[in-house]
Amino acid sequence: MGVFTPTALLSLPGWGSFLLTVLTIAGIYSLLTLGLNIHYGYTGLINFGHVAFFAAGAYTAALLTVPPPAQVSGAEYVFGLNLPMPLGLPISLVAAAVVGGLLATLIGATSVRLGSHYLAVATFALAGIFGSVLENEAWLTNGSFGLNSVPKPGRAAMSADTWAVAYFVFVVVVLVVVAFVLSRLTGSPFGRLLKGVRESEDAAQMLGKNTIRVKLTSFAIGGAVAGLAGGLYAHYVGSVVVQQFVPAVTFTVWAALLLGGVASNTGAVFGAFLLVGFRESTRFLTNIYDSLLASLPTVAADALRLAVEPLPDHASFVPSLRFVVIGLLIVLVIRYRPEGVFGDPNEIDAIGEED
Amino acid sequence: MVAFVTQFVQTLIYGLIEGSVISVGAVGLTLSYGVTRFINFAYGEFLTYGAYLALFLSGAGLGLSLPLPVATIVAVLVVGAFGVGVSRVFFEPLSDRGPLPLLITSIGVAFILRYALTAAVGVSAKQLPVPLMRPVEVFGVGTTPLRAAVFLVAIATMLLIHVLLTYTMLGKTMRATSGNRNLAEIAGIDTDGVVRRTWFISAGAGALAGVLYAVLFAPFRPTVGFEYLIVIFAATLLGGIGRPYGAMIGAIIVGVAMNLGTTYLSAEYTMAYAFAILVGVLLFKPDGIAGGEI
Amino acid sequence: MSRDSSESDAAAGVTRSDSDAPLLEVDDVVKRFGGLTAIDHASFGVEAESITGLIGPNGAGKSTLFNCVTGMLTPDSGAVRLAGEDVQDLPPNRIAQRGLGRTFQTPKIFRGMSVRENLAFAARGQTGERPISALVRPGTVGSEEADIRERVDDTLAFLSLDHLAEEYASGLSGGQRKLLELGRVLMLDPEIILLDEPMAGVNPSLADDLLDRLHELNDRGRTILLIEHDMDLVMNHCDRVVVLHNGQTLASGPPSIVQEDERVVEAYLGGFENA
Ligand SMILES: Nc1ncnc2c1ncn2[C@@H]1O[C@H](COP(=O)(O)OP(=O)(O)OP(=O)(O)O)[C@@H](O)[C@H]1O
Ligand SMILES: [Mg+2]
Repeated sequence: MGVFTPTALLSLPGWGSFLLTVLTIAGIYSLLTLGLNIHYGYTGLINFGHVAFFAAGAYTAALLTVPPPAQVSGAEYVFGLNLPMPLGLPISLVAAAVVGGLLATLIGATSVRLGSHYLAVATFALAGIFGSVLENEAWLTNGSFGLNSVPKPGRAAMSADTWAVAYFVFVVVVLVVVAFVLSRLTGSPFGRLLKGVRESEDAAQMLGKNTIRVKLTSFAIGGAVAGLAGGLYAHYVGSVVVQQFVPAVTFTVWAALLLGGVASNTGAVFGAFLLVGFRESTRFLTNIYDSLLASLPTVAADALRLAVEPLPDHASFVPSLRFVVIGLLIVLVIRYRPEGVFGDPNEIDAIGEED
Repeated sequence: MVAFVTQFVQTLIYGLIEGSVISVGAVGLTLSYGVTRFINFAYGEFLTYGAYLALFLSGAGLGLSLPLPVATIVAVLVVGAFGVGVSRVFFEPLSDRGPLPLLITSIGVAFILRYALTAAVGVSAKQLPVPLMRPVEVFGVGTTPLRAAVFLVAIATMLLIHVLLTYTMLGKTMRATSGNRNLAEIAGIDTDGVVRRTWFISAGAGALAGVLYAVLFAPFRPTVGFEYLIVIFAATLLGGIGRPYGAMIGAIIVGVAMNLGTTYLSAEYTMAYAFAILVGVLLFKPDGIAGGEI
Repeated sequence: MSRDSSESDAAAGVTRSDSDAPLLEVDDVVKRFGGLTAIDHASFGVEAESITGLIGPNGAGKSTLFNCVTGMLTPDSGAVRLAGEDVQDLPPNRIAQRGLGRTFQTPKIFRGMSVRENLAFAARGQTGERPISALVRPGTVGSEEADIRERVDDTLAFLSLDHLAEEYASGLSGGQRKLLELGRVLMLDPEIILLDEPMAGVNPSLADDLLDRLHELNDRGRTILLIEHDMDLVMNHCDRVVVLHNGQTLASGPPSIVQEDERVVEAYLGGFENA
C-alpha cells in the first residue's frame, strides 16, 4: 500500500482518515489517562473530576489563540489573544498544561485532606461547578455556543489529509515524551513517595513525609498532563464547547485506566487506545448495518431487518449502548480483574483504603 | 418593601418544598450508606427510574393509565425491589473487598442503568400527566395544590421513616447493623436481611424523590437523577452521612439555599449552589453540621 | 513532674547537656473520644538514651498516648515536649523530622511495595523526592539511591529480612511486618523510637534477637519507648517503666520500684484479670 508516500497522503481513503482521527483522539485520551494514573494509580487519589482539567487546558489554548471577538460574528466573549500559528502552539500548549495543573492544585487544596470517598464527591462536585462556570460565563467562554475558531496549526499550508497525518504524528511525539517523563518520575524516589502515600498515609507521615504536599504535587502533575491533552484537543478539533466536557469524559478515562491497569503507564495508554477505538468504531455500526442489508441476499436481509425491528429507533440508541458497555467494563474489571491488563495485582491491594 | 417580603417568603416556600423532595432522596441515600458504607453514585438512577416508571404506568407508552398516586406507589415498590436486585447483582459480590471497589462499581452501575434507559426511551424530554393548577395565594404568597401535595407526601414519608427507624424491629436492627455489622451478626441479627430491606427502602425512597421531582420540575430526561445526585449528596453530607435526621435538615437547608441563590444571586447557577454548599461542607465540616463521630 | 529526679540514675549511663529535661516529656495530657476519656492527665518523661517500658492493661490508653505524642492525635489539653520543645500542635511529619520514629500496634506497611522499597522510602532528605530534581539531577539522585540501597541492605541484614528484599510486603507474615516496620524506623534513624508491642507475633527466637537489636540501638545512643505486655521482658530489659491505667500514669520509675508499688500490682493485675 502506498499510504505512506507523500502523494498518497494528500488524499486518504475514507477509512484511512477515520482511522487517523481515532488514533489521534486515542493519543489525546492516553494523556488524560496517564494523568489520572498519577492521581489514582500512583497516589490513590480518587479524582472524579478529571474532565475539569481537560476543559481548563482546552479553554486556555482556545482563548490564547482564537481571534478577538470583533473578528467573529455573534461572539459574546470579550477577548481572544490570537497568537499566531504555528509559533504560538508551544506557548498555547504550555499554558494549557500550566492552567490544568493550577486548577488541579486548587481543587486538590480544597479537598486532599478528605478521606477517599469524600475526595471522590468533592472532585466530582468541583468539576461540576467548573463546568457550570464555563457554561454561564459567556464573556469568557462564549457560553454554550463555544469558541469555534481555534486555529489548527499549520493547516493552511497543507491539505486536510496531510495535516491530519502531521497532527497525529505531533500528538504521538507529545505522548511519547510525556510517557517517558512520567515513567522517569514514577520510577524515581518521587514515585516511591507517591506510592507510599497511596499505601498508607499514616505511615508516610510517621516517616516524616509531608503527605499533603505530596498529594498536591500529584494533583498538579496529573492535572497538567490533562490540561496539555485539552490544549492538543482544542487545536485538533478547532472548537471548544462545554458539551464536550461532561462527566462522561471523566468516567471514560476511568474505564480506560482500570482496563489498562492501574499504576501502569503502559496500561494507561493501552486502555485509552482500546476504549477510544471501541467508542469510535461503534459510530460505524449503522453503516455496517446498512451495507449488510444491501449486500445480503433478500431473505437474510429481511430476517436481519426483522431481528432489529423491535429495537428502539432513535438517534441516541447506539451511543447509549456504548456507555452501557463502558459501565459494564468498569463493573467487570473491578470484579474480575482489578489489576486490569497490565497492572500488578500486588500493587492495587491497598489502594484507597483508609488507615 | 412589601414586594420584597412577598418575594422572600415565596422563595422560602419554594425552597422548603424542594428541600422536602431532596430530603426523601437524601434519607434514602444516607440509610443505604449506613449499612453498606460506600457512597453510591448510582443512587440518582433510582430517581430516574422512579420518574420514568410512574410516567409509563400513568399514561405514556405501556397502554396503562393508572392515576398518578397509584402509579407512584407501584413505581416505588418496583424500584425498591429493583434496588435489591441491583445490590445483589453488582454490590454484594464485592462486599468483602472494602469500600473502594464498591464506590467505583457504583459509577459503572450508574452508567449501565442510565444509558440502558436512554437506549430504550431516547433523550427527549418527558412530562408526568399532572394538571396545570392555579396557585392558592394568601397575601400574594402561596403555591399550587399540587406543590403542596408534593410537600405533604415528602413530609409523610419522613414521618414514616422516622416511625420505621424508631419503633420497629427493622429500625433497631438497621441501626445495629449500621453501627457494627460484625457485632450485629454475632448478636444474632440477620444482617443480610437488614441490608436487603435497607436497599429496598433506600431505592424506593429514591424513586419517590424522582417522581416528586418530576412533578415539581417537569419535563425531565434520563439524566435527571444523575444531575440531581449532587444536590442529594450535598444534603446528605451536610447532615453528616449515615444520619437520617441530619439528612432531612441538610435537605431543607440545601433546598432553601438553592432557591434563595437562584432568586437573588443568579438564576443560571441553580445546581452550583448545591455544589458550593457541598464543597463548603467538605472543606469546613466534613462530618456534617451535626458533628461528632461519623 | 511527680517523679523524683534523683531516681533517674541514668541507667543508660550518659547524660545530655540539658540533663534535667527528659528527651520526651508528656505533661498533663488529656485526650477524649466523645464521652470516653482515653488519656486522663497523663504525665511522665522519657530519659535520653534509656529503654523505657510503657505498660498497662488493655484499653489503658497506651496506643492513644503514642498517637498523641506522634501528632496523629492532638491532645485536648496538656503538652508534649520533644527535646524541650512543645510539639503537640505539630503535624506528624514535622515531629518525625525532629527525630521521633514509631511503629504501630498493627503494622502499617506499604503492602503494594517491595520490602526494599518500604525501607528506601523512609530515608531522610532524598533529593529525588522532588519531581523536578528527580528529572534533572539524575547524577545526585543516582548516588543517593546507591547509598540508600546500601543502608537498606544493612538494615535488612540486621533484621534478618534480607532474603525477602524483593518480595511484596503484602506477602509478609505478621511478625515479619513488625520487623519491616522497625526497619523503616531505623532507616529514618530517629533520636527516639516508639515501639507499640514490637514483640507481638514475632516468633520467640526472633524476639530474643530483636531484643538484642534494641539493646544494640540503645548502646548506639538511641532512646527507646516501648509498649509491652510481657512483664518479664519489661522488668529485665527496661531502665524505666511507666504504668498507665485508665488513661492515668499510675507510677513511673525503675522496674524494681514500680514492681513493688501496691497500686500498680492491684490495678495492673486487676486489669489483666478483667481483660
Ligand atoms: N479513635 C478512637 N475513637 C474512639 N475511641 C478510641 C479510639 N482509639 C482508642 N479508643 C479507646 O480509647 C481507649 C484506649 O485505647 P488504646 O488503644 O489506647 O488502649 P491500649 O492501652 O493501647 O490497649 P491495648 O493494650 O489493647 O493495645 C479504649 O477504650 C479504646 O476503645
Ligand atoms: Mg494498644
